Amino acid sequence: MPEDVLELVNTYQLSTFTTKVCQYAASTKEEWEEQCKLWPTSFHPPTYNIDGITGFSEDDSLSVFNFMKLAVRMAKSGGSVVNAAVIVDPSTRQVIASSHDEILSCGSQRNSTCREPCFSKQPQATNEYDSSKIEKDPMLLMKCPPNEAKQSYKDVACLHPWGWLEQPSHLSSDSWHPLRHAAIVAIENSAARDRCLFPVNAQDSEFAQEAHNMSSPTGSPLKRQKVKDDERMDCQKNGLRCDSSRPYLCTGYDIYFVWEPCIMCAMAVVHQRIRRVFYAFPNPNDGALGSVHRLQGERSLNHHYAVFRVLLPEDILKSEALEKPFQD
Amino acid sequence: MASFVEETVPETETVAYMKLALEQAKLALDSLEVPVGCVIIEDQRVISSGRNRTTETRNATRHAEMEAIDVLLEQWKKDGLPREEVALKFSKCTLYVTCEPCIMCAAALSIIGIKEVYYGCANDKFGGCGSILSLHTNSSGKLMMSGGISRKEEFKCTGGIMASEAINLLRSFYEQGNPNAPKPHRTPMPRA
Repeated sequence: MPEDVLELVNTYQLSTFTTKVCQYAASTKEEWEEQCKLWPTSFHPPTYNIDGITGFSEDDSLSVFNFMKLAVRMAKSGGSVVNAAVIVDPSTRQVIASSHDEILSCGSQRNSTCREPCFSKQPQATNEYDSSKIEKDPMLLMKCPPNEAKQSYKDVACLHPWGWLEQPSHLSSDSWHPLRHAAIVAIENSAARDRCLFPVNAQDSEFAQEAHNMSSPTGSPLKRQKVKDDERMDCQKNGLRCDSSRPYLCTGYDIYFVWEPCIMCAMAVVHQRIRRVFYAFPNPNDGALGSVHRLQGERSLNHHYAVFRVLLPEDILKSEALEKPFQD
Repeated sequence: MASFVEETVPETETVAYMKLALEQAKLALDSLEVPVGCVIIEDQRVISSGRNRTTETRNATRHAEMEAIDVLLEQWKKDGLPREEVALKFSKCTLYVTCEPCIMCAAALSIIGIKEVYYGCANDKFGGCGSILSLHTNSSGKLMMSGGISRKEEFKCTGGIMASEAINLLRSFYEQGNPNAPKPHRTPMPRA
């Protein structure tokens, strides 16, 4: 026995025995559970099982185009073009959360999502975009004349992550944040939705508010700890009630970007366990899904998503093109 | 073993700040969060701290670094500082974090233009400061003139400060089982 192993055996008073362990990585969850009994490993579901790798049905591609269209629409934010992110549950074709960049103008959702009854208890009606309504909104079309879309997209956060200082400060001084790229805000919104739809217990909304109020480092950690303990006990009492009906983070969900995300956003999407990423335009400056980095190919990561590029003509950023449905 | 050595050696500034970061990590552990914590120092003064809050928020991007950055942005905006001044202040700040910043956090630290980072243990699954990617030495290292001040996309980064303490915290978390992990997670094996 090697010296260092012997040291461990002595320190922890282990008894050794000889046995066989699996030579190959588990290919199913069941195999993995079996393997973990003797030798805990990480489970990486095979990516060739992800829908779309082998092509899309006509129905699915239409759905993909429609969600991309929604992202493009959101990217036209108040006169300038920014990046947008739309998180979708493909099994129900429902929008889970969405946002555009909030580098220059923070939305008011930030600390108020749980305080306001903005998320109803019926998942079907929650936060769902009425795309037909948006399409017909004449205000949106007026805000972005076609000649403005031809600029160099300097307001797209993922294209210019270090450009937050150069932006003209025509907005009030408190409405900016260098890290609030579309994906970061969309993930925040999806987490807020999850907390509201699946509270751990009845006091959860109260707890959430408490947590917000005490977000300063000087807030009383004692009280927070107490609430946390109650929550923990409740979760143990009820078993895994809350886990069975909702996905872990964004497992199984898709995200749509107008521009290929920067490395910060691409990693945020890994953390939140998104299953498929769709983007329309490559990002030569800091694109992390093929242009500069290729994050989906980093073997060490604990989660891997599949990446798809949706080919769109650049003049789709002109408003008129949005009016026409995608047909091919 | 490591802590014994440190107690006999005069405590350096770096170790003192890292101990504060470890305290934040312990707070995270007490709240059933992955125990990673950090502090941000300006002019030898702790101006912000943060710890992992991913379980509580159900937002896997709420890492200690992002929390600590947001505390500062909120404070500085409340103080009415313009963006140029905020950038200038970040460029004088040093971060002490118990675990190597992940790829997302390393990118964020580069974007805000932090001066320097000290970390505890390496992060060989997600590390963005040398383990998987090296975002602290990002691009060409060119100086950018922005808002009238020069900024660098890179930051100085030193690892291995009180690494064993940081690892021990992570170990105790994973031994108790991560309540947030997808099932089945690793269950502690009974000792023979």
